[in-house]
Amino acid sequence: MSPLTDDQRRTLARIGDELIPAALGMPSFTEAGAADAMTDHVLSLRPELLSDLQQALDGIAADEAPAAATARLNRDDPEALGVIGLVASSAYYLMPGVRAIMGYRGQEHRPAGEEEEHDYLRDDLLQPVIDRGPIYRDPGAG
Amino acid sequence: MADIAEVLIIGAGASGAVAAKHLSEAGVSVVCLEQGREVSADEFYGDKPEWELMSQRLWHPNPNVRGLPTDYPIDTSESDVNPLMFAGVGGSTLIYAAHWQRFMPSDFRVRTLDGVADDWPFTYQDLEPFYDFMDVEMGVSGLAGDPAYPPMTPPPLPPLPIGRIGRLAAKGMNDLGWHWWPAPQAIPSRAYRGRSQCARRGTCMQGCPEQAKASTDLTHWPDAIASGARLVTGARVRDITVNAAGLATGAVWIDRDGVEHHQQAEKVIVCANGVGTPRLLMLSGGGQFASGLANSSGLVGRNLMMHPYAATVGYFDEPLDSWLGPAGQAIHSMQFYETDKSRGFVRGAKWNAMPTGGPLGMRSAYGGAPLEEAWGENLHRSTQKRFGHSFEWGIIAEDLPDPENRVVLDDTLTDSDGIPSPKIIYRNSENTEKLIAFHLARQKEAMEACGATSISTTTLMRDCGWHLMGTCRMGNDPETSVLDQWGTSHDVPNLHVLDGSTFVTSSGFNPTATICAIALRSVLHMIETRAEQRTAS
Ligand SMILES: Cc1cc2nc3c(=O)[nH]c(=O)nc-3n(C[C@H](O)[C@H](O)[C@H](O)COP(=O)(O)OP(=O)(O)OC[C@H]3O[C@@H](n4cnc5c(N)ncnc54)[C@H](O)[C@@H]3O)c2cc1C
Ligand code: SF4
Repeated sequence: MSPLTDDQRRTLARIGDELIPAALGMPSFTEAGAADAMTDHVLSLRPELLSDLQQALDGIAADEAPAAATARLNRDDPEALGVIGLVASSAYYLMPGVRAIMGYRGQEHRPAGEEEEHDYLRDDLLQPVIDRGPIYRDPGAG
Repeated sequence: MADIAEVLIIGAGASGAVAAKHLSEAGVSVVCLEQGREVSADEFYGDKPEWELMSQRLWHPNPNVRGLPTDYPIDTSESDVNPLMFAGVGGSTLIYAAHWQRFMPSDFRVRTLDGVADDWPFTYQDLEPFYDFMDVEMGVSGLAGDPAYPPMTPPPLPPLPIGRIGRLAAKGMNDLGWHWWPAPQAIPSRAYRGRSQCARRGTCMQGCPEQAKASTDLTHWPDAIASGARLVTGARVRDITVNAAGLATGAVWIDRDGVEHHQQAEKVIVCANGVGTPRLLMLSGGGQFASGLANSSGLVGRNLMMHPYAATVGYFDEPLDSWLGPAGQAIHSMQFYETDKSRGFVRGAKWNAMPTGGPLGMRSAYGGAPLEEAWGENLHRSTQKRFGHSFEWGIIAEDLPDPENRVVLDDTLTDSDGIPSPKIIYRNSENTEKLIAFHLARQKEAMEACGATSISTTTLMRDCGWHLMGTCRMGNDPETSVLDQWGTSHDVPNLHVLDGSTFVTSSGFNPTATICAIALRSVLHMIETRAEQRTAS
């Protein structure tokens, strides 16, 4: 069952697009398809956010312009804006399409090959540090 | 027949695991009581897309944010820094970053060299063999020859690659003529003793899903259990009991059904960390001691040190893959580690060059930013600027012991078993503030030297109390210390503490290599002197 009513989801979509618009080669919140199943997924993993989110969305009238609503919340109720922003951006950056545009494959399994080790010894990047010698204080020497 | 353990260990984290393994392998009968549970690698989110989302709650390092019944909540209303930890088999090592740093020789002689704090009751040289031993048990990766330290035995594994961020940071340091070195980590660069090679997921601080990182549930507990140690999870200790002669007799603990038990023991070792240990000592003794057990010095809970953390993030045009792990550090620097009084403060800090994680993590950096800066088109602009194109120089600032910085019992807050919670009273000193300001100014120079297009700084991160130290300090004088050099209570000869509470000063290094080396040194001493101790008691 969906955790949000249709009205709440419509409000989330409008505010989500205001916070995350289409720009600079990136899709908007709804264009990315983040307002539906992915939002529900976020809420299923972080159920403690649900009631604050519902309350925040219920406080925005259907005819209040998104820009005016975000400005008002930012001024009067930053926590409400915070929870909408957190849920929207979490769902957005989980969308595979968004990640593909960003070149982010998630926290990848990418074990290093041996050739990646010790490159600083092969090209002498570390040599000046070695050449300068010890920098520790010896308490025995006072 | 009464179940009397020769040794009861309280807490199954870093120090508790080291103690349990070595004692049980020496044939000592060991019971360990741990309030948390066993955590399996598939519970971690590092190999799942939702990693960042879950790191803000379930895998957050602050127990007050997690709010799990296995944690105890902590009153931090009078603290500049939140203490961080995890309750479970492996303790806080389940979520530590595994920077594996030795202290320097000068760290053990702070009073002699700098005229502040105190000297430790032993030297770097005394601890060195135990550092070497722990390197092998943990499977440390690193490069021998760091000129910031005296010559030492090379770690068992070659260093992890320093990656693009490490190389970039290093170039800047070279331009300035400053020290850097590939960082030592308790993370295997090759498969090691049943653990996988690090896959560089960079999620070490939310648990390693690859079973690579050296957390003590993997490095020590399997051996301890195979040697007969009995580990009881979900066992919250409320009270260390004592007899009329003032000797410890065991501990009262509560199981997850709320049932109370008494575990008897010949010796008790407390390994509940720098906050949990003083809390428990203050709760203990069955009302025989007004200020808690082992506290004739009045120093139990005092001199809390937590390493205030500040950092500088640099942004770069070139792609840096800066979500690639390990999460802890690619290179470190001790250029400004040692005291130089002309700077207007004493002591110093280690720096660590770290990756900056995924896209959502970067969002938290906007906390408090104006609406138009944080959202709208600027969201994409700033994400593109930061994500994959930034790294962080962090500062592990040495905070000096101050008896006013302390752990006390809270008047109202309790854990899920109704046991009083700890309260933290902790303020940064003027020395710390000057130290951080100096280091941030140098880090800005380091970022400029490696070509950062812009730079941001965090002067003090509140959620930074990863390192909990000093609250049952060691020393030779029972009036000015709680424990002797072996972690044995001056007041109660069969009560021992082996965790970070024992520290005399904090150094500017992550503490766990030193916690484990001290635990090992103390436990081996306990084993050597076992026959005499048993006859005496
Ligand atoms: C996010 C994070 C990152 C870190 N990164 C690093 C790093 O890179 N390098 C480094 O050196 N250190 C790091 N640390 C610190 C490191 O984890 C600790 O120094 C180390 O784990 C401390 O070991 P310990 O034995 O003192 O306590 P812990 O490992 O904290 O173990 C204490 C155990 O005692 C149990 N306990 C407490 N009270 C009770 C009770 N009343 N009854 C029963 N059980 C109890 C707890 O549940 C816990 O499991 C980090 C810590 C955190 C939180
Ligand atoms: S970077 Fe390595 S140690 Fe850290 S979580 Fe990944 S695999 Fe584990």
